[in-house]
Amino acid sequence: MSDEIDNKQSILAQSSETMNEYSGSKAADVDYVRPAEVPDQDLYHGHSFITKWVFCQDAKVIGVQYFLTAVFTGIVGLILSWLMRLQLGFPGLAGFMTAEHYYQFVTMHGMIMVVYFLTALFLGGFGNYLIPLMVGARDMVFPYVNMISYWMFFVAVAVLMASFFVPGGPTGSGWTLYPPQAILEGTPGSGMGILLMLISLSLFVIGFTMGGLNYLITVLQARTRGMTLMRLPLTVWGIFTATVLAMLAFPALLVSSIMMTLDKVLGTSFFMPTILKAGEVLEYGGGSPILFQHLFWFFGHPEVYIVALPAFGIVSDLISVHARKNIFGYRMMVWAIVGIGALSFFVWAHHMYVSGMNPWFGFFFATTTLIIAVPTAMKVYNWIITLWRGNIRINTVMLWCLGFIVTFVNGGITGIFLGNVSVDVPLSDTYFVVAHFHMVMGIAPLMVIMGAVYHWFPLVAGRILDEGLGKWHFWITFLGAYSIYFPMHYLGFIGVPRRYFEMYDSPYMTSAIGMNEFISLAAFIVGAAQFILIYNIIKTLKTGKPAGKNPWKANSLEWHTSTVPPEHGNFGDRLPVVHRWPYDFSVPGAKEDFIPQTTPPSEVAHTEVEKT
Amino acid sequence: MSEQKIADYDLKPGFKGMATDTGSDQTMFKGVHWGKAMMWIFLLSDTFVFSCFLISYMKGRASTPIEWPYPSEVFALEVFGVSVPLLLIAIMTFVLITSSGTMALAVKYGYEKNRKMCGWLVLATAIGGLTFVGMQAFEWSKLIHEGVRPWENPFGAAQFGSFFFMITGFHGTHVSIGVIFLFIYAYKVFAGHYDTGKRGWFTSMKGDYVEIEILGLYWHFVDLVWVFIFAFFYLW
Amino acid sequence: MEEIKKKEEQTSTHKIGIYLWIWGLLFVLSFFSYMVDWYNFQGLLRWSLILFFMFLKAGLIMAFFMHLFWERYALVNVLLWPMTAIACFVALMVAEGKYTLFTRLFYFFVGGQ
Repeated sequence: MSDEIDNKQSILAQSSETMNEYSGSKAADVDYVRPAEVPDQDLYHGHSFITKWVFCQDAKVIGVQYFLTAVFTGIVGLILSWLMRLQLGFPGLAGFMTAEHYYQFVTMHGMIMVVYFLTALFLGGFGNYLIPLMVGARDMVFPYVNMISYWMFFVAVAVLMASFFVPGGPTGSGWTLYPPQAILEGTPGSGMGILLMLISLSLFVIGFTMGGLNYLITVLQARTRGMTLMRLPLTVWGIFTATVLAMLAFPALLVSSIMMTLDKVLGTSFFMPTILKAGEVLEYGGGSPILFQHLFWFFGHPEVYIVALPAFGIVSDLISVHARKNIFGYRMMVWAIVGIGALSFFVWAHHMYVSGMNPWFGFFFATTTLIIAVPTAMKVYNWIITLWRGNIRINTVMLWCLGFIVTFVNGGITGIFLGNVSVDVPLSDTYFVVAHFHMVMGIAPLMVIMGAVYHWFPLVAGRILDEGLGKWHFWITFLGAYSIYFPMHYLGFIGVPRRYFEMYDSPYMTSAIGMNEFISLAAFIVGAAQFILIYNIIKTLKTGKPAGKNPWKANSLEWHTSTVPPEHGNFGDRLPVVHRWPYDFSVPGAKEDFIPQTTPPSEVAHTEVEKT
Repeated sequence: MSEQKIADYDLKPGFKGMATDTGSDQTMFKGVHWGKAMMWIFLLSDTFVFSCFLISYMKGRASTPIEWPYPSEVFALEVFGVSVPLLLIAIMTFVLITSSGTMALAVKYGYEKNRKMCGWLVLATAIGGLTFVGMQAFEWSKLIHEGVRPWENPFGAAQFGSFFFMITGFHGTHVSIGVIFLFIYAYKVFAGHYDTGKRGWFTSMKGDYVEIEILGLYWHFVDLVWVFIFAFFYLW
Repeated sequence: MEEIKKKEEQTSTHKIGIYLWIWGLLFVLSFFSYMVDWYNFQGLLRWSLILFFMFLKAGLIMAFFMHLFWERYALVNVLLWPMTAIACFVALMVAEGKYTLFTRLFYFFVGGQ
């Protein structure tokens, strides 16, 4: 093995300019970077339409495919939320809406948004597009498997969508799919619906594992010369850590899906206790429903951070670029991301305070939950200090970032309420919880996605999205989202339970009626406002202003490719060599207010750049 | 491994080396082929899958008030009228460890580019794996014959059958997938794909003997999982 | 172990001897763990012996057959640290299993009084 590697390396050392650097005056040369360790990647170039655009092995195309598929499912999720709000705000207005339909819509909305929309969009979409570009690789390390990963996801989405059309409809057991009710008669979609959901989830996990391995190993083993881990943009750190979480958390989901499928199909009793139904004892018996909850949340809590960490990373980069200032406390940010990721495996049962688990667990999980707030708060401080005295450009991207900080802080603070057992018990299963998690992992990551779309669209399409439309899009979404979720906290305080189809004549309704109508109206408007973005994209693709190279004057490698948009192989003949972190903005003494990562130290000898 | 060299990079041993490797550019795992790194991370993920299965089994078994069947008797085999506990399982363990050993040697000869030896050893591993799967099929049919089903069994808690068929089934699936790949790779070794660097059928990547080590990692992992299943399911 | 390592460094691949040794050791350990059942040890002795032989076998397979002993610490640590999450999960599920058993006995058999 070693001989082989040596051979490869000596061949490499002789190729390109590395040899000169290596044998030349090494000590005096400030621009010296170690020679390449591994040979340049051997890429498969597609020639036909099918291999170029359908079964494509280029991570950028796969990223766009992931993005479009995820957005499609997201729109389905959005329409479902409209239908739910229609029922909650104006009960009985939609004639076809039964309680069964309502539960099915709740379930599908939740599952689609968390797994098939946000996870796929951040890791599959942004991860595929940005990781190879930002680390300076030609592609993912194993492009073929990466391609399979997307098509697995596609099949998973197809299976999920198919469940709308089977007899009984999709499952209506809530997105957590708790047994025993999820697979028992009486719950909508307890036949084919739940089965297709479990199959779809299993396919998603298998497909995602293939992609996730690629993301991890590309970051760890395929960085370009000079790119150390501590010179990676925080976007890559966020996506990387989220992928680590996914690789270790999805197994629990896979296992619980398999076990529940067996419970459903074979009649095993992993999760099924002895059940009396209409006076008759069912065949099931001896299983443990709480085991499912543990498995589910062992996946479910890291899943929250799988969605949040990429958002943290991306927003750090966007804030830094558009405030023309280096990110405050880069290393602290990295360690906070890693720390949150590690801790997220030790907090899962704070979702289960009222489940009837071992009562001592409350103490353990409340403690770990509150500890995880520390690195999270550090990140918020760092974003704010990055903005402080920055040269802030109030463009659409920056607006989305600011919106993210506000909504995230809001959601984070309510999280501290819910993390404490004694406060959580009266609040659990009320609209307070709904408000909390929509704020923290719905709206906040969505704000980042929007900001990222406005930021990177010029790279993908070569044209800048319309700023005027973008600002309309932002303000309607931001104010509208606040109108939706802020009153929900109040609904929670007065005790309105979540997942109820209708309040009937309960005493809640007197004060909640008007508020529910208001929330519903806001939800319709916010949902509709998202089509501004779609219109904006179509319009820009046709008549938009060409972006040119590096329109935001950013430093990271994705803006410094040989062509815009980057072609297959990303960087032309020669891979870039990295000399610095991506945050050298407004450096005193520099000619321009940004220094790209590829600029060698000798060119900026008289500036006060950070040592990275 | 320990003797490799990397141009202009000081490979320090121990935790110091870990710090410099992590802080260096290009790669974190110095000298590790990306495919091997990918397999390791996959195995880490798969470890979590099997851990979740075994944790569920532990939780299920620990919380059942009904008597758990005594595996030593359930899995006993009659030989010439004498009941020997766990006989089949012992043979299965023997077969799997044997195949693991041949795989380890196959990897060694692969790196020495000894095509013939490597090929025969991979083939031997594949046959060992096939024997294991066959014996597992025998074990399953014997238990099914005795009335054990995923949803019930005559010996005690119903979960015994459920967990048994699920966990050994999942492990058996891993073994079967491994056997298929072992046969394919045995063919590829004998055909000399790794000597000539012939491109893969699907991936269009150049063949290299490192693939044998990657496959070896997977195969040893299957053996590793069996060690845990053997301890927790059959002995406990 | 140190001696073996030094010897290995001189050749390009590991000597066949080490694999045969580990192979033999695995058979012996498997035999011992089988003996635990054969002699019908019970209770704490049985469980600790099972775990001891299990971890020893697993360690040998990982260290030598999977070459982890010769890998650099960066890889070794990346692979071993995530096991703390599993350890935590196991520990908590032991407690949870006992608690579930307690509630079952208490409510189904004792009657919840």
